[in-house]
Amino acid sequence: MAFGKRNSHGQGCEIDMTPMIDVVFQLIIFFIVTINLEQNYNEDIHLEDAPHARIINTQDEDPRTLIIEVDKRGWISLHGAVVNKSQLAQIIRRRFNAMGEYPVLIRGDYRTKHRDIRGVMDTCSGAGLWKITFAAIKEHKVENGRRRG
Amino acid sequence: MRVSKSRNKGEAAKLEMTPMIDVVFQLLIFFLVTMKQEDILSQLEVSRPAPESTPPPAQVDELLTITVYEKGYVLKGRNVSLQHLDSQLSRLAGFSTKISVVIKCTAGSPHSNLVKLLDICSKSGLTNLSVFSM
Repeated sequence: MAFGKRNSHGQGCEIDMTPMIDVVFQLIIFFIVTINLEQNYNEDIHLEDAPHARIINTQDEDPRTLIIEVDKRGWISLHGAVVNKSQLAQIIRRRFNAMGEYPVLIRGDYRTKHRDIRGVMDTCSGAGLWKITFAAIKEHKVENGRRRG
Repeated sequence: MRVSKSRNKGEAAKLEMTPMIDVVFQLLIFFLVTMKQEDILSQLEVSRPAPESTPPPAQVDELLTITVYEKGYVLKGRNVSLQHLDSQLSRLAGFSTKISVVIKCTAGSPHSNLVKLLDICSKSGLTNLSVFSM
């Protein structure tokens, strides 16, 4: 630490690192918090395992994908907001009119009865969306004992 | 730390490391506590015919119909286990993976039964799957 030697004026020539680092970390926290807010999945939905199916790559995923969540009671939600069937149909149709065909991903709880899934599928196919994708778990990373034995 | 020696005016020239390290460790703890690993998800693609359409006609010869009930699966009128279906489907997929598989699902069956069946289909490499509801 001999840089002060060159400094003939003896002014405060040191860069104070503390505020800079503070700001940098504030930014990091900001970004991490906002990224977490973006993926607002319903925590109550427990997916079934499908270890042989194709992996969902979040980078390659079609950004137009509509994710429809159906919980065990058959409640339908989009981006964390509960909607009823007619609202869902309206949203799907409006999206279809705006952007044409788009992929649909259904996140259905493993306990959901098929009649509730059927309602969502019928709404999609009624709007002209024939390709439907179900989400499942390829590999467990969260070990919280929520699965049945 | 000979910094203060080289200075003409004896100003506080030392870089105070303690608060910086404090903050860094606070952040480290914050990230460690809030970090949550996500499950790796997979996708199962099916095609869904229009609600009013009837199941495809029998003229398509390479057609396999599996019915999903609350308690299990029915193939060609017989109750079958998932293991049996697995071996049957992989045997069929050995001939062709283009075989149409029609899955009929009863209203009361849990979604997990359908997903398990679709998983087995994708394990065998069968991609031509349609889901009908009963």
